[in-house]
Amino acid sequence: MAAAFVRLHRLSKSFGPVAAVDNLSFEVAKGEALTLLGPSGCGKTTTLRMIAGLEMPDAGEISFDGVPVLSVEAGINVPPERRKIGMVFQSYAIWPHMTVAQNVAFPLKVRRVPASECQRRVRDALAMIGLGGLEDRPATRLSGGQQQRVALARALIHEPALLLLDEPLSNLDVKLREQMRVELRLLQARLGLSLVYVTHDQTEALSLSDRIALLNQGRIEQVGTPRDLYERPETRFVRDFLGKSVILAGIVRGAAHGRVAVAMACAAESVIECPAPAGPAPSIGAAVEVSLRPEAVRIARGDECASVATLDGTVEAVLYQGERSECDVRLGTERVLVYAPPDIALHAGDKVALALAKDAAQVWPK
Amino acid sequence: MTAADAAMAWRRRAGRIEGQHLVFLMLLGFVAVFVLYPVLVILVNSFVAGAIGQPRHWSLEGWRVALADPGMRGAIENTLRVLLANETISLPIAVLLSWLLARTDLPARGALEFMFWVTFFLPSLSVTLGWIVLLDPQSGLLNKLALSLPFVAKAPFNIYSFWGIVWTHLSTAALSIKVMLLTPIFRNLDASFEEAARCSGAGRGQTLLRIVVPAVAPAILTVLVLSLIRAMQTFEIEMVLGPPFNFWVFGTKIYILVAQVPPEFAPATALAAIGFLVITPLIFLHRWLMNRTDYTSVTGRERSDPTPLGRWRWPAFAAVATLALTITVLPVTFLVAASCMKLFGFFNIPRPWTLSHWHDVLTGDFFGQSLLNTVELAGGAAALSIVLCSLIAYFTVRSRYAGRGALDFLSWLPFAIPGILLGVGLLYVFLGNPLLKAMYGTIPLMILATVIAGMTLGVQILKAAMIQLGAGLEEAARTSGASWWYGFRHVVMPILMPTLVLVGVVNFIAATRDIASVALLATNATKTLSLLQLDYMIDGRSEEAAVVSVVVIGLTTGVAFLARFLGLRVGLR
Repeated sequence: MAAAFVRLHRLSKSFGPVAAVDNLSFEVAKGEALTLLGPSGCGKTTTLRMIAGLEMPDAGEISFDGVPVLSVEAGINVPPERRKIGMVFQSYAIWPHMTVAQNVAFPLKVRRVPASECQRRVRDALAMIGLGGLEDRPATRLSGGQQQRVALARALIHEPALLLLDEPLSNLDVKLREQMRVELRLLQARLGLSLVYVTHDQTEALSLSDRIALLNQGRIEQVGTPRDLYERPETRFVRDFLGKSVILAGIVRGAAHGRVAVAMACAAESVIECPAPAGPAPSIGAAVEVSLRPEAVRIARGDECASVATLDGTVEAVLYQGERSECDVRLGTERVLVYAPPDIALHAGDKVALALAKDAAQVWPK
Repeated sequence: MTAADAAMAWRRRAGRIEGQHLVFLMLLGFVAVFVLYPVLVILVNSFVAGAIGQPRHWSLEGWRVALADPGMRGAIENTLRVLLANETISLPIAVLLSWLLARTDLPARGALEFMFWVTFFLPSLSVTLGWIVLLDPQSGLLNKLALSLPFVAKAPFNIYSFWGIVWTHLSTAALSIKVMLLTPIFRNLDASFEEAARCSGAGRGQTLLRIVVPAVAPAILTVLVLSLIRAMQTFEIEMVLGPPFNFWVFGTKIYILVAQVPPEFAPATALAAIGFLVITPLIFLHRWLMNRTDYTSVTGRERSDPTPLGRWRWPAFAAVATLALTITVLPVTFLVAASCMKLFGFFNIPRPWTLSHWHDVLTGDFFGQSLLNTVELAGGAAALSIVLCSLIAYFTVRSRYAGRGALDFLSWLPFAIPGILLGVGLLYVFLGNPLLKAMYGTIPLMILATVIAGMTLGVQILKAAMIQLGAGLEEAARTSGASWWYGFRHVVMPILMPTLVLVGVVNFIAATRDIASVALLATNATKTLSLLQLDYMIDGRSEEAAVVSVVVIGLTTGVAFLARFLGLRVGLR
C-alpha cells in the first residue's frame, strides 16, 4: 500500500450517552477510494463529518499527508475551509439563491481566483459533468441527477486532494445511480483523487472502492478489499451484512495444517475441507457452522448429478428473477437459499443435489 | 493540575478561538448588558427608596406599597379575566382561520392573510381611537345608528367596559398574532396526513378536528403560551379605555406608578419583579414545549392541492373577509373621518367636516421633526435588529457553545419586560454610567430600546427559518473553503433574505408605533410621532391625535405593503 494520505487515529465521539464513533483508526492511501459501509447509525456519516471538520470528536487525531489537522490532545482543530477538501452532501446542499455557475464557482471565488480563469474552469467543469450550457440556470430548477452533478463539480472545482462523499447516490433512481457509479469510478481514477465514500448500499461499496471499512456500532468490523470482505469475512456481522450465505451445521472430524474437515449435519457421509477459522483450532467433535456464498453452490437435478460429492435435498419454493432463480432447498431439517441458472427449470418438490465448490467454505465456531 | 497541564489546557482553548467564538462572546456580552442589566437594575431598585438623584437607601417600602395597595388584587384579577376572555374567544377562531388560509381553496386567501398581518401592525392606540369613534356610549356612531331604530331605547355599545377592552384586544393583536404564527404551521403540515384521513372515509370537518388539529396541537399550545406571556405587558388599550370606569390591570398599574408626578419607582419595580416571577416559568414552559414538538411531522416536503371547501367556499370567504375588514378597514376609516371633523366623533353637528386639524398638525412645531425622528428611529431599529436577531438566532440554532442556552433565554426576556420598565431600566443603566450618559436623549439610545423590545419576535422568526433551512447549505460553504463569516454572509444571509426583510419590517413598524419603551428616553428634540400622538391625547385634543394616528398608520401599512411587494419579488426567484 502506498503511503497513507489520510490517517485517523483512535477517534471517538459520543452524542450524550451514545457512542457514535468508538476508538476508530484507519488510513486512506493517496489515490485510493475507501468506502465507509455499514447499517444506519453505525457512525459512518459522523466519521466523514469529522474528517471534514464539521464535527468535533471527543478524542483522537486526524492527519492529512502527515500534517495533523485535528488532535484533541494537542488542541489542534483546522476548520473545514482550511482542510483543502471537497465534499458532496447527501442532500447535495445546492444553494437555492445562486445559479448553476455561481454554485460551482463558489470555491474559486472564496479563493480569489481571477474572474476570467474562474469562468473558464467552471465552463470546463460543467462540460465534464455533462451540464454544459446550463451555467445561468437557477439552481432550484435542476433535476435530482443534475443537482448531484453540480454538487460533484462544486466539490472538485478547486482540485482538492481529498473528496468526501456522503451517500451521494441515495437520492437518485436506479438507472441513474448505476450510471453515476461508473462515472464516479472513472473520474476518481483520472484525477488520482483520494476519496472517502459513505454508503449503506453494499453494491455501491463493492463496485466503487479500492478498500471498504465496514462499521458497526461505531467500530470497524473489517477493513479490506471488496473481495476480501465478500469472500473472506472475518466476523459474522461482515458475512451477514455483505451478500447472502448458505449456512449449514456441521461437526469437526479432523484438523491439521491449518485446515479442518467438517462432516455435514444433513448428510454425515459428506465431509468438506476448509481453511481453519482464526483463533484456537476447533476440537474434534465440535459443532460448527459452515458458510458459503450462494454462487459457490451448484444446483443440479437429483438424476443428473451422480459423480460429485453432493448434498441431496428437495426444492421447497422457486423465486424466478430473470437472470437466475432463487431456490429454497430443504436439506434434512435445514433450509438454504441457492441460485439456479436460468437453463435449469426447477419446481417445488423436485429432488436436487447441491455441489459445494472446493475451498469456498468457511468454518465458524458455534 | 500541574503547570504543564494548565499550559496544555490553555493552549487547547487558545487553539480553538476563531472569529466565530469572538462574535459569539461579544454578542452574549452585548445582550447581557442591555437585557439582563436593566432587569437586575429593576430588581435591585425595588429594594431602594428615594428618587433618582436624591439620597437613597435600602428599604422594603416599595414592596410594602405594591402589596398593600388595595387595587392590586383587583388589577391582577382583571388581568386574568381579560386574558381568559381573550384566549377563549381568539384561539378557536384563529385555529379555524389559519386552517382556512393555509389549507383550503378559500378565495383570495393570500390577500386575506396579509390583512391579518396589517391588523397586527396597526398601532393599537390608533385602532382604539377608531373604535371610540364608533362605540362611545354617548357619541359612538354605531350607538347612534342603533338608537335611531324604533325598538332600541338605550345605547347598546360601550367601549369603556370589560367587553369593550376585550373587543379592542381581539381586533388588534390577540387574533392576528395567532393567525400569523399558526398559518405557516398549518401550511407546512405534511399533506399526506389529511389525504390518508380523507381516504379512510373522514369528511372535511372530521379530518380537521381529528387529524389536523391534533397534529398541530403542540404548536397551538406553544402559540397559546406565547400569548399568555405577551398578555402580561399590554397596557395601551387598558390605559385609554380602563380609567373612565376605574378598571386597572397589571400593566396600567405599573404605568401610572411610573408616569405620575413624582414617579414611584420602588413600588413599580416591585410590581415588575412580581411580573418576572409569573412570566419566567412561562418562558421555560414555552421552551420546553418547543423542544418537545416533533418537527418531523411538519416537514413541508409534501405539498398538495388545497382542500376544496365545496359549497362552503363562498360563505367562508364572506365570513373571513367581513371579519378582516371589520378589524382593519372599519376602525381606520372612522379614524380618518374623525381626523377631518370639527369635533371628534360628533357627526350630527352642522357642517362637521374640516381640514383645519390637519393644517394645524402639519404646520405645528413638532410634526416635521417628529416625522424625521420616527423615520430615523424606525430605520435604525430595522437595520440593527436584522444584524442582532440573525446573529442570536444563528448561534442558538447552529452553534454548540455552552452559552447558547443563556443567549436563547436572554432573547426571551424582553418579551416579558413591560416596555415602560425596559425604558426605566435603560434609563438607570445610561444615567448611572458616566460613559453612556452622553447617549441619554439621543436617537441611538431609543433605537437600542426598541430593538431590545422587539428582539424576541425577530429572533423567533429567524430561528424558525434557520431550523427549516438545515445545516447542510452552510456546511457545503465551509467544505468549499469559505470561512464561517464568509459563508454566513454569502450563503446564510442571502437565502434568508426574505425573512431578514420581514424582521426588518416588523421592527421598523414596531419602532414606529412604540410608545412604552421610548417614552422615558425621548426629549422634545427626539420626540416621535407616536409620542406626539400620546401628547395630544393627554391634552384631550382627540382630533389632532387622530391626525397623527392616520400618519402613523400610513407609515406602517405603507412599509408593510412595500415589504410584501419586495417579498413577492424575492420569492419568485
